[in-house]
Amino acid sequence: MPVTLHRMVDEAAMRRPDGDAARCDGAGLTWQELAVRVNGVARALLDTGVRRGDRVAVLLGKSLDVPAAFYGVLAAGGALVPIDPKSPVEQISRILRATGATRLVTEPGRRKTVADLLAADVDLSHTIGLEPGDTGSVPTLPWSAVDQLASDRPLVVNVGGLDTSYVLHTSGSTGEPKLIRHTHSSALAFVEWAVETYGLRPDDRLSNHSSHHTCFATFDFYAAARAAATTVILTPAAMLMPASLAQVIEGERVSIWYSVPTALVQLLLRGNLEERNLASLRWVLFAGETFPEKHLHHLRARLPSARFSHVYGSTEVNVCTYYHLPEKDAAPSPLPIGRPCSNTEALVVDDALEEVTGGGTGELLIRGSTVMSGYWGDPDRNRRVLVRRPAPGGFDDIYFRTGDRVRTLSDGNLTFAGRADLQVKVRGYRVELEEVETALLGLAPVHEAAAFAVSDGEGSSIVRAAVVVDPNVEVTQKSLLDGLKTSLPLYAVPSEIEILSSLPRTPTGKVDRKKLVAALADDGETHA
Amino acid sequence: MMVKLMHDDRPVNPAGIQRRILDFIGEELIAEGLDIGPDDDLLSGELLDSVAVLRLATFVDETFAIGMKPTDFLVENFQNARVLAAYVVRATRDRESDG
Repeated sequence: MPVTLHRMVDEAAMRRPDGDAARCDGAGLTWQELAVRVNGVARALLDTGVRRGDRVAVLLGKSLDVPAAFYGVLAAGGALVPIDPKSPVEQISRILRATGATRLVTEPGRRKTVADLLAADVDLSHTIGLEPGDTGSVPTLPWSAVDQLASDRPLVVNVGGLDTSYVLHTSGSTGEPKLIRHTHSSALAFVEWAVETYGLRPDDRLSNHSSHHTCFATFDFYAAARAAATTVILTPAAMLMPASLAQVIEGERVSIWYSVPTALVQLLLRGNLEERNLASLRWVLFAGETFPEKHLHHLRARLPSARFSHVYGSTEVNVCTYYHLPEKDAAPSPLPIGRPCSNTEALVVDDALEEVTGGGTGELLIRGSTVMSGYWGDPDRNRRVLVRRPAPGGFDDIYFRTGDRVRTLSDGNLTFAGRADLQVKVRGYRVELEEVETALLGLAPVHEAAAFAVSDGEGSSIVRAAVVVDPNVEVTQKSLLDGLKTSLPLYAVPSEIEILSSLPRTPTGKVDRKKLVAALADDGETHA
Repeated sequence: MMVKLMHDDRPVNPAGIQRRILDFIGEELIAEGLDIGPDDDLLSGELLDSVAVLRLATFVDETFAIGMKPTDFLVENFQNARVLAAYVVRATRDRESDG
């Protein structure tokens, strides 16, 4: 078993040199070609003085450069910080500052973003992927020069399993992103589980649907590498146009699919599946939110060759439980989140962290080798969520508090029972309602703000908000929405903002969300 | 070439359709002050999200009454305002020859 993620590239290149490592938009990159490019990126980074553990940010759209950049950072001994290319500049600067990443691997199409980052005084010492002249006084190396650095000489870099592999970002309630640190060991523990559970093999072709800063991508790329299989990187255009997406799945003979349910629902409703042959699909994995039952039922009927697996976890723990839908029979309702993965202990506890027995509802704690090592630079939060309590055998060990409420069914499967906080899921993305409120309050005319979620009727949530504004300033919903787009990712921007003269309050003075939702959301079931 | 619209009998050429599409995107889907042209990529994933793309599709379908089908959700029909306008012209012609 490899000790580091990038070691898997060398192994796959020996095992299957001419097999495709990745495909994107009709083009491919073999494992041998990838190994050479990884070597080039690593050398370029080492030339800039990267040392073991230094954070290196990667800001790329969907392309064949993604795996080269990812493994190149790791092979140089760096800690990868993949950035969501949909993030506004403000959010990207926060991530770079908080992680201390001063090197950025990017592409020519993002020169404006990089210029904006430099204008915002972000400390970048080197960039890779831009042309000289694009970055002012910051040294840069274009991709063409990176490729020339590659050689067969092995890199002598000492990296161990407990070194940081990557730092992923998700929504945080204060507006500061949560930065989740994984090691090579925690990533590989997940990879081993995935390869074994889904029987991944060299002829498999795994979809990469999600943005590469998410934990979904750890499956799409790293589990594929462990099996010397192929990752089919889907372009945003294909993801937005379901009929085109179905053509790509057929043409690329995708065998393993992993995404949020929303993407599969779009494929079912607008993918023209009756005219496609998708018999290559053997596993369909979905996670992140509820799959509406009627759609799941129809999709299973459309894809008779595929087994379906409901996967549960979070960026902090990779995947921690899973439920394979029965091969022939109808799926139970609601769909359980299943049983713990082979290397995971799942414990349901009450507020005092004592185990809840007899099928009662409680918070889910996770202990296992796939759990993150902690939030980057946030010791207070780490103390709150990585707690010590007795493990089987009587010694104390570290458990991760998921914040998810679950209960154990009589057959031993776990079922999801809601969140303990104000986190909601919008098309699979985590959104903290407090973050939306913080962003609203950051707009000059906004005096008070409250965000809430309503159901979209398809298993996902829609964020809405209400504000009280300065009566002396002319404010429209449009001007508020435009303002939010500079600080929040698009999926977190409310679909509607009501401008009210006051917000309903509880006797203690807190915003009364229940009353607010009842007054404004007459068209959907509420989540918070 | 002139295409007759079904709902208001106002003849509109492809350039006019393109203008209305760009106006809708500018006014409803993207932040004020962002400039967008007929060849700008609507499907980069960074300008419009999936909800905005669906709103655009609904606007086009209702405004030009083309009877959009699920099978029309193709990259080649939506990549930019120019090809989207051309698709509206084709769909209108198909509809008129059907009816």
